[in-house]
Amino acid sequence: MTRTLVVAGHGMVGHRLVEDLRSHDRTDAWHVIVLAEESVPAYDRVALSSRVDGRGADSLSLAGPAFLADPAVDLRLSTAAVAVDRAARTVHCSDGTRLRYDALVLATGARPFVPPVPGHDLPGCHRYRTLDDVDSIRAAARPGRAGVVIGGGLLGLEAANALRLLGMEPHVVELAPRLMPVQVDDGGGAVLARLIGELGVRLHLATATTAIDAGPDGRVAAVRLGDGTRIDTPLVVFSAGVRPRDELARDAGLPVGERGGVLVDTHCRTADPRIWAIGDCAAVDGRCYGLVAPGYRMAETVTAQLVGLDPAPFPGADTATRLKLLGVDVASLGDAHATTPGAIEFATTDTRAGTYRKLVLAPDGHTLLGAILAGDASEYGALRASLVHH
Amino acid sequence: MNDRVLVVGHGPAAHRLVHRLRALGHTGPLTVLGRPGTHHGLATAVLTGALPPDAADLPAHPAGTAEVHHVRAVRIDRARHAVHADDGTVHRYDTLVLATGARPRRPGPHLGGDVRALRAPARSAVGDGPVAVLGSGPYAVEAALALRRTGRDTVLVHPGERLLDGLLDPDAADLLAVRLAAAGVDLRPGRTAVEHLPGTLVLDDGEALPADTLLFDTGLRPTTDLARAAGLAVHRAVTVDALLRTSDPAVHALGDCADAPGDGWEQAEALARLLTGATPRLRPGPVTRLPAADTLAIGTPGDGDQQLTLRDPARGRYAALGLRGERIVSASIVGLPRAVAAVTQLHDRDLPVPADRLALLLGTPAALPGAAEPGPDTVVCHCATVTRRTLATAWHAGACDPAALTAATRAGSGCGGCAGELRALCQAFAREDPAAPGTGAVPAARTRPRTEQPV
Repeated sequence: MTRTLVVAGHGMVGHRLVEDLRSHDRTDAWHVIVLAEESVPAYDRVALSSRVDGRGADSLSLAGPAFLADPAVDLRLSTAAVAVDRAARTVHCSDGTRLRYDALVLATGARPFVPPVPGHDLPGCHRYRTLDDVDSIRAAARPGRAGVVIGGGLLGLEAANALRLLGMEPHVVELAPRLMPVQVDDGGGAVLARLIGELGVRLHLATATTAIDAGPDGRVAAVRLGDGTRIDTPLVVFSAGVRPRDELARDAGLPVGERGGVLVDTHCRTADPRIWAIGDCAAVDGRCYGLVAPGYRMAETVTAQLVGLDPAPFPGADTATRLKLLGVDVASLGDAHATTPGAIEFATTDTRAGTYRKLVLAPDGHTLLGAILAGDASEYGALRASLVHH
Repeated sequence: MNDRVLVVGHGPAAHRLVHRLRALGHTGPLTVLGRPGTHHGLATAVLTGALPPDAADLPAHPAGTAEVHHVRAVRIDRARHAVHADDGTVHRYDTLVLATGARPRRPGPHLGGDVRALRAPARSAVGDGPVAVLGSGPYAVEAALALRRTGRDTVLVHPGERLLDGLLDPDAADLLAVRLAAAGVDLRPGRTAVEHLPGTLVLDDGEALPADTLLFDTGLRPTTDLARAAGLAVHRAVTVDALLRTSDPAVHALGDCADAPGDGWEQAEALARLLTGATPRLRPGPVTRLPAADTLAIGTPGDGDQQLTLRDPARGRYAALGLRGERIVSASIVGLPRAVAAVTQLHDRDLPVPADRLALLLGTPAALPGAAEPGPDTVVCHCATVTRRTLATAWHAGACDPAALTAATRAGSGCGGCAGELRALCQAFAREDPAAPGTGAVPAARTRPRTEQPV
């Protein structure tokens, strides 16, 4: 008898789960209902910036014709899951329907964190996560004017590059003393800051946004910073991190992580044996990853359980990241900040070549635990392959 | 090569210059004016009692060197290329070298009792009571560590925040302080001494520390009277150019009296080369070795186009290396004895660093230059040109620890770069000892007197 799998969310990870399942489920044991909040099927969010120079949504789409035509997959666009009744094993949808499930996978992703500064909700303030966000930024861009990105992480730098491509003069405001503070250390941050600066991006590091001021028309007119700087701008983009969307689980009485996220074990199981959580909304043993690669590993683990294969547990974090904007090449792998007890750091800064390279090694002095590359990340692949996970 | 070279001053730099001039083939008259000093590098061993005071004496000059010990130069007659001495003698020169040195700067006026300058000849060991050392430079650090290791209560007082400030980078300096503290040296950074009474040192914050002996290395006052009176350009010290020439091209200056890059040892080598027609090589920045603390500082921290940094906080190890091209121009190393040895050798010989820089800093054997098994004729001490064979002979004759080997062979009396190797050799000889053939005259190991020398 066919069982019903409901997948709440059609982002990159939710989509990967369904694709995986369909390729392994040869007997069509599962009927899959995918609830997509957005009006378009899953797309490559990592390549969102390419949307800026006018590439159509289709080129980013992950759902091919075969997927869309698959009779075993019922993709419901513009339909969000709003509640879960675990006793009745039903999902309530935003269109009023109720779906009974045999298995439920929460893949609701994350939402951008918008710091509660005065003026954060003025017209002219944007986020940078969805195709709609990028479309609204494109529409609001004013070539020649300053544009302010709040948050100097990976996504913030992508957003700054997007503003640059739209003809604006980008500013990046970062609370930490360096860019991409999660991925790189001070040495990498220094190289990164120089390269980003060479792109014409103005940096405001180690300072907070204190207020966003409105002009006479009620729209964004200026951003004020903790160091006293005032930037006149019609456009603000928030990219100050994300928060897992764990409301469905919370409301259904499922445990969540200390810092949010649906609490799951290494097999991505929640406390309810019929419910899993994967991707940005999941807190695996309490930890949210916020990256697509770990999300894909989670999807694979759940697929294996659904089709009765030997369920390999989530193998831990491959948090390797690489930023490649025009002329800026930065990568971070594994234990980049040498938090492993006894770890040894070996760094090379080349001021002429403008590069920084740090290896994090186990106490034996040759087992690679992590790395940071800035200015030249051509070793990224090789290092990633030799990385040891703990 | 046949010029008359006259050296005024007779400290280690002058001594080294004379030796190197002869070694490089200088055949002309060579005269040294002044009473011979002692070897700074061995002062610590004398203070701890590891070596007798005369062990620090500078060795005899090569044959054919005129040494005029009892006189003091009083006037330079540049026009006539002559130096007048206080006994009325006149010494003519084609090339004059000023090596008048410097006098230790005393730390304060209220210091009495057993108070000694570290950068002055050490004439006796200090007592067994508590010792206070003033200063943050290499002499102060080395002395504090050596005295502590002989069991004396030792406190190191310095006004600045860090040890070897300007020589080591801040991370290395902090780690060096950790090592000193771990060895039991009491540290008082940010403090100055205001009064030393017999048995007690009082600091500026009022703290009274037990101190029978006070040792200080709180700066030097270059001795420049002679140069100044002769109308040579003198600023803080005697002004010299990159070739160690003063404002008079016939007059050179080196060592503590000269405002020149590097240390006296290196300057002597450079000047000897210059005066004998070889290519001089004067590297910028000082080279500081603290073998007892496995610490090496080269040049100005941060110098170079490429910076290599190794951090191993769990094991108290740190190395920073500045490269220009493939050559080492700066280094701050603490806690990595093999890296200290390898980097010292590469820098001394101006060799390129190996491709595997991590192995170089971690001291993985393959990265050590000349790592091939040493033979009996391998030179261990390049300064005094002492081979392994010579050291073996001395060891079998009873010189069983590094200080005794130094006293017997002069190995290690120069730059100090081979200190680690001397230690290792003592251990190796001890292992080989029971089966050492052809050394029949040697007494059995258990009856051989051994000096206690913690390493």
